[in-house]
Amino acid sequence: MDIQYIGEQLLWGKIGNILVFTAFTTAILSALAYFYSFRTEDLAFRKLARQAFAVHTISVTGIFALLFIVILNHRFEYFYVWEHSNTIMPLKYILSCFWEGQEGSFLLWMFWHTVLGWILIATSKDWESSVMFIVSLVQVFLASMILGVVVFNYKIGSNPFILLRDHPDFANLPFIKMPDYLSRIKDGRGLNPLLQNYWMTIHPPTLFLGFASTVVPFAFAIAALLRKKFTEWIQPALPWAFFSVMILGTGILMGAAWAYESLSFGGFWAWDPVENASLVPWMTAVGLAHVMLIYRHRKKSILSNFVLAAVTFFFVLYSTFLTRSGILGDSSVHAFTDLGMSGHLLLYMLFFLFLSAYLIIKNYKHLREEHDEDQISSREFWMFIGALVLVIGCLQISTTTSIPVFNKLFGTKLAPPADPIDHYNQWQVPIAILVALLIGIGQFFKYKNTDLKEFRKKITFSVIASLIITGLSSFYLGAYRVHYYFLFFASTFAVVANADYFIRTLKGKFKNSGASIAHIGIGLILMGALISNSKKEVISRNLKNVDLGKDMPNKENIMIEQKNDTLPMGNYYVTYTGREKKGVNVLFNIEYFKLNPVTGIKEKQFLLQPFVQINERMGNVAEPATEHFFTKDIYTHITYAEIEKSAGEHKEADHDSDYLPSKKQNLAVGDTFVTSNSFVILKSLNKNINHAELNMKDSDIAVGAQLLIEDINKKTYTAEPVFMIRDFAIYTKEDVVDELGLKFNFEKIDPATGKIELSIAEKKTNRSDFVIMKAIIFPGINILWTGCILMIIGSITAIRKRITQNKQKTSSQEA
Amino acid sequence: MPQLKMKKSHIAAIVVIAIAIGAILSTLADSSTYASFNLAAEHPSKSFHVVGKLNKEKPQAYNPQVDADLFSFYLVDNEGDEKLVMLHKAKPQDFDKSEQIVVIGKMKDNSFEASDILMKCPSKYNNPKDDLKAVTSQR
Repeated sequence: MDIQYIGEQLLWGKIGNILVFTAFTTAILSALAYFYSFRTEDLAFRKLARQAFAVHTISVTGIFALLFIVILNHRFEYFYVWEHSNTIMPLKYILSCFWEGQEGSFLLWMFWHTVLGWILIATSKDWESSVMFIVSLVQVFLASMILGVVVFNYKIGSNPFILLRDHPDFANLPFIKMPDYLSRIKDGRGLNPLLQNYWMTIHPPTLFLGFASTVVPFAFAIAALLRKKFTEWIQPALPWAFFSVMILGTGILMGAAWAYESLSFGGFWAWDPVENASLVPWMTAVGLAHVMLIYRHRKKSILSNFVLAAVTFFFVLYSTFLTRSGILGDSSVHAFTDLGMSGHLLLYMLFFLFLSAYLIIKNYKHLREEHDEDQISSREFWMFIGALVLVIGCLQISTTTSIPVFNKLFGTKLAPPADPIDHYNQWQVPIAILVALLIGIGQFFKYKNTDLKEFRKKITFSVIASLIITGLSSFYLGAYRVHYYFLFFASTFAVVANADYFIRTLKGKFKNSGASIAHIGIGLILMGALISNSKKEVISRNLKNVDLGKDMPNKENIMIEQKNDTLPMGNYYVTYTGREKKGVNVLFNIEYFKLNPVTGIKEKQFLLQPFVQINERMGNVAEPATEHFFTKDIYTHITYAEIEKSAGEHKEADHDSDYLPSKKQNLAVGDTFVTSNSFVILKSLNKNINHAELNMKDSDIAVGAQLLIEDINKKTYTAEPVFMIRDFAIYTKEDVVDELGLKFNFEKIDPATGKIELSIAEKKTNRSDFVIMKAIIFPGINILWTGCILMIIGSITAIRKRITQNKQKTSSQEA
Repeated sequence: MPQLKMKKSHIAAIVVIAIAIGAILSTLADSSTYASFNLAAEHPSKSFHVVGKLNKEKPQAYNPQVDADLFSFYLVDNEGDEKLVMLHKAKPQDFDKSEQIVVIGKMKDNSFEASDILMKCPSKYNNPKDDLKAVTSQR
């Protein structure tokens, strides 16, 4: 018999499911129709394909909208809603539910592809059919990820509209037989606290647009191989390559800003596998954009264009595989949980890998060049070297990031490097040095051939200026690893040389200066990263400790008590003035003071409120607070605080509200224990209690526990709580030491062992609230952020220039 | 000025292969190993990742007044060996809730000196079933 469930709204899901299947089938239809369209050049197929893609777009948008509606209305009968949202979640984070779950993030990715698809339909002219064939093919794979159908015992994809009671995990639970189960579900599981941050509302969609955009150069490259038009694709695809660089770069930097502001590791980059997975495709996309420029100007290196377009897209798929298959497991903080899709993802990745490898190898004889030597004095030679260096950097990052994959393949038990930052830096610092030097010299070379005398004349200024700046900076940088000095020089040189080129050669003409501006930005990013990392200073020095060496930094946290006065920390003095609760957060007030040398008074500078977000289910999450200055940031992070106390929700609260809940101790005579302010020794058990004094009968039994209490100043006190038995009933008499705020009660006695149970309550005022905190000064972090903004502005300028050039070229061809 | 020319594809191939070998070797050299306390004790100079479970019966010590960067507890590794772990960091928030723990460090004498810790909170990977069981039991 069917159960009639009460209160469910199933219509949303029914429409949603129809749309999911429509999206999948129209993607197939669109791919097929586009395929026939470019094979037969029949416009009827193209029309059909466009219509299919239109229905596909409407379906994807519809799924998005429906999922949004069910989340907004807290329809917990849907598993996705229950799993990723709850009623207390602020409205602004509703979109974040989309990227917390796999289904939602695939949906977002598909949505971006449809947007890009329509731009391609509108602009790519005779490339439309072949390029859109590839885009639609990619959509088929993505749409299959949200199908959620079982074919031959294999589940394909995970459907966002699956009902809670239909979810296989809950198959045998009793609630699915209860018609009123929905009214019993008070709330959903809620959003991961890490995602409840404003950066997290814009970083994932930007990054996904970046990932999605790499499909365009890839689709052009594959289309070119299919059509055997090996060179014509560069021109229309070039602005897209720069678009990928720009938007993916922006997404990564937003992620870095998020990590810097709200993660606890203290910094903007930690070489986390998920961070690496997004950085690698960006680096290859930069390489791709540059070899495309080489081709455009010199009609050379076409093979590398194909290879890098394929490699970039492959790395996007590989990073999806790493983060979503669950293979990273313990090695990353923000990998998705496994939904059993690893086989599916693997198929997706390998399909496009083999497709592109097959097509490139098959057409190799058309792609290789007879005379592939370059003048060492040509711009293209150095651009090519630059692209190569980036690829090498990617190889190294990918190798270490793939350790969990190697373990799976070869059954090894390798773990990531114990010190990942050091491991990556030993490779990436030299690579950054090379990249920065190439960025500096690049534009001073001309395509084809450069007059070296002139080159030397033009570059001398930048070299000398950078040497002087590095020399002067050594006063600030101080004793420093040699390769850091090299990197400092190289990044300074990148900035100075490009600024010089911008002013002297380009005469400050903004329109043509995309490359110079973006390169200045990259130089500043490298410089800012170098300074803020290498000169960062942990000011919360815990100097009492024995130094355990570089591998074991054990002096980075200090304890501040609320009642204490100020603690010195770097140039500052800090106090902890208490905590307050705001919504789900507990804020800790840390006040920074500076000593005025004239008056000798400590003057308040600023207040920082690092906080801990209370989340029963996911675990509490501490978020730092940072005070920003022009030249430095002061980062403050709570590493430990007693959260339970602040909640004030002790169920067995002591009657006496002046005291904290009591603790129990089992003691034999001679045992010692500690309280927050003293040592307590059980000296002896006194059986000669004066009965009359306690109004006791002679038949009563009474034992006193004679305690000797010694405080920190070696001052001693005594106390004697008493345990009595009268007519088989137990009575106790407590004893209080007022000076120490301690209350003792004799609870039990075990005649067999002679051990007693004593309960001790401490006055609340005894233990002041405290926090363990870490504070770090990051100098020069603003150099990094300035660089980011310049990089983005420069890339946009370059894209605009390429688009205008393409338009001019097309119109001159037509004329 | 001599006209220096180089065959690009050759340079590219040689350099990429050389670096790829270098990258793999350095990864192998720097990578740590998931191991037991026993294995870690055999190689006291090498750093290991030890996976285990917290022994909740045994005491944990954290006295920030004395040292805010020392926290000790007993960990039972996957082979069932129990060792005292000296973590040279502040006590992690939510430590008591953690189910599986990975400590990174070296064995010294009879205790494990850890520079870092990774915790798997059961809640995060919690079986969602438990939430729904609770739902059906309430009246």
